[in-house]
Amino acid sequence: MASQNNISRLDYIYQFCESGKVDYFAARVSGLYRSSDGGKSWTSAFDSLNLQKDPSALAVAISPDLEDDPSIFVGLNGGILRSPDNGRHWESALLPSPPPVISALSISPNFIRDGIVFAGTLEDGMLRSSDRGGRWDAWNFGLLDLNILCLAISPDFASDETLFVGTQSGIFRSTNGGRAWREVNLPGEFEAVLSLTLAPDFASNGTLFAGTENQGLFRSTDGGKTWQRLAKSKLKEPINSILLASDFVARPELLILHGNRLLISTDCGRSWGPFRANLVTRKSVATILCPYGFDPSVSVLVGYADGSIKFI
Amino acid sequence: MGKHRPKWQAPGVVFQPRVYQGLQKGINTIADAIRPTLGPLPRFVLNEKQSKAGRPELLDDGAVIARRIIQLENREEDMGAMYLRHVLWSLHEKVGDGTTTAAVMFQSIYNEGIRYIVAGGNAMQLRQHLEEASKAIVDELESQVIHLQGKEQFAKLAETICYDPPLAKMLGEIFDIVGEYGRLDIHPGRSRELEREYVEGMFWDTGVFSREMIPDRVAGKVQMENAAILCTDLEIKEPRDVFSLLEIVIRADCKALLLVATSFSDRALSVLLANREKIQVVAVKAPAIDAATRSEALEDLALLTGGRAFFQAAGETLNSVRPADLGHARRIWARLDNFGISGGKGDPRRLRQHISQLRDALLNVTEPNQRRRLHERIGKLMGGVAVFWVGADTPLAVEARKALAERTIEAMRGAVKDGVLPGGGIALLSCQQTLQKKMKAAKNMNERVAYRILSKAVESPIRTLLDNAGLEPDRVLNQIALAGPGSGFDVVGRQIVNMAGVGIYDSAAALKGAVFGAVHGAALALTVDVLVHMQDPITSYHRT
Repeated sequence: MASQNNISRLDYIYQFCESGKVDYFAARVSGLYRSSDGGKSWTSAFDSLNLQKDPSALAVAISPDLEDDPSIFVGLNGGILRSPDNGRHWESALLPSPPPVISALSISPNFIRDGIVFAGTLEDGMLRSSDRGGRWDAWNFGLLDLNILCLAISPDFASDETLFVGTQSGIFRSTNGGRAWREVNLPGEFEAVLSLTLAPDFASNGTLFAGTENQGLFRSTDGGKTWQRLAKSKLKEPINSILLASDFVARPELLILHGNRLLISTDCGRSWGPFRANLVTRKSVATILCPYGFDPSVSVLVGYADGSIKFI
Repeated sequence: MGKHRPKWQAPGVVFQPRVYQGLQKGINTIADAIRPTLGPLPRFVLNEKQSKAGRPELLDDGAVIARRIIQLENREEDMGAMYLRHVLWSLHEKVGDGTTTAAVMFQSIYNEGIRYIVAGGNAMQLRQHLEEASKAIVDELESQVIHLQGKEQFAKLAETICYDPPLAKMLGEIFDIVGEYGRLDIHPGRSRELEREYVEGMFWDTGVFSREMIPDRVAGKVQMENAAILCTDLEIKEPRDVFSLLEIVIRADCKALLLVATSFSDRALSVLLANREKIQVVAVKAPAIDAATRSEALEDLALLTGGRAFFQAAGETLNSVRPADLGHARRIWARLDNFGISGGKGDPRRLRQHISQLRDALLNVTEPNQRRRLHERIGKLMGGVAVFWVGADTPLAVEARKALAERTIEAMRGAVKDGVLPGGGIALLSCQQTLQKKMKAAKNMNERVAYRILSKAVESPIRTLLDNAGLEPDRVLNQIALAGPGSGFDVVGRQIVNMAGVGIYDSAAALKGAVFGAVHGAALALTVDVLVHMQDPITSYHRT
């Protein structure tokens, strides 16, 4: 059984709620790890596979309604594993050949009814499954860049069928459930987009944020038709994570991972300040989570690129 | 029409009033022939076609009807008719729809203009004011443009163009997927039904040089994964050229190679086949029939796969190939008559820049063949193809439905890209208010008349449409005026509706094109004062 000591490069931490308490999955090169005690200890989620060496995990997605449908998906370097029973058993999904590297996963908010899951890959564009992850097909019409770095699905996907992908050369949008993609006119010369986040009320006001590699942070308030670069003089580092406050509609607060620093904005991205003055890290940060909100007095979960995970 | 050769071959110069009389009659002949086809309840035009089957041709498209009229008996009338025919056909080639609206507006502007000029108005000043005033119509139309989204809205748009609900439904789905630039191949149906297939990646209609390269004879297809690609227009004759290339590819640790070339000698092919154990090679013919399109296709292929194309004209040979010149793709397939790739490993930034340049070029090109070629190139690079089989009950019906589908697709491309306007003549009718305001503010008589002429012209399409549906235009226009902005008359449902709300649209590009063509064409025709007849008119003039 692997533990927190057995660490390797970390790609992703996924926060989920089970029976009212917050738990986590961590996707690492050495496999998928699960914490059921709020991040204190981590154990391999692939134990039931009985493999000599666990496959590298790059992305995780969990059913939005875990109690009624305990499906979990893990993106691997060369495949997708799905568990229909909250990680007790795993089965390999049927993917197009050659085996793709899965870089991002996203589940339809209406998964319990439509069974739709999307997977972004590093060379093969987008894969979609509409049978709860059993069979996956490439859906790349109009997707001119097949190197998917991040993806974001509309909270109202059931009716607007909208999703966005961030690629090595910009953003693409689909308004028909991934059947076809159109270029989004993000300013700059085909900039790599590392993170994408849609506002919870995206369906009504079209607000979304895009973090880029070299051009900082952008916001659109019309579903991606036009973009405004936020705090141009201040935000120049790569933006790997964008988190919105849980009550973003009432309190438009954003937290971003700007290089290795956490910055917060309380006015929808217009002005920025350090999240905590004393929060300084020398290690490279891979990802962050704020399970208890953006209050500076509460802990945030920081995942470092070397694989370690800490509450700070 | 135009079966016998007329007797009027004498040269001469014709002056007024015969010029206006003749041109007006000719213009009215063409416009009146097209007029019954406007709207969803059209009447047809039967053309005495000299086909093998000897059947007449049933027409409902303004541009095609105009094209079928190749000559009128009277020489002055003929010149008027051919002038309007040229205006309509140019519009058809550019935007694919709106020709009947243009014909009706042209006729209204010309007839009203003539009335003013013969009463003492100045033709040149009227022309200038008409052209300037047309901008007010175009601006007003632009302010009403709606951008469609989703297969249901696209299907409604298609239905307003083709009036064939099953065809419209299918085209709605196809456009939702391939978009305005996507590649769409249309073929005669394999059954009575409409069928479609979406092929991912990029494919060309040229296949393998040798059947031996397709090991799976049943599937008739060979597939490779993570293959290297070399594109060239060279004719590969010598086995030694192939040896050196294979050595480079094997040294680059590639297990599969797609070789795209103009031709292969049997000796060169046998080398490829003999080395199948070391490396899987599929050799396919370079796409296109002429050198220019072939080099474009090879450049696109190289860009998509991150390789470099080798050209004979640049003095290149296979000996100069380096590993960095090879392109790469995730998947490749080839058959006897086509091949395709998906997951090309070219630089996406360069690819997007290239597509953007091709789109810019498309905006500036008006020549139909060049436009078609650019569309094909962009469509191929977009990463997918829709293949559409148009079926119907009889071979003649298949042909007619395929032509209808092609026409609808052409018009839809513009509508998807540039948006749509409320249909049924309402968008144009709503310009009347602006034109009347400008008429009141006009500084001189010629300007005032120009606005008055256009105010009447924008009403002519809806009047014609209502008339074709067997309705009384004056009564219905009163009902529309009372119903308020955006309302129009659904001639199929026979009721006042919100046109955009129920999905009755016109293509914005087609409507703006129709306004521009009609106003500029008619304004110029009004300034014609003298006609010159040649002894033996050039027959090709009639065939344009």
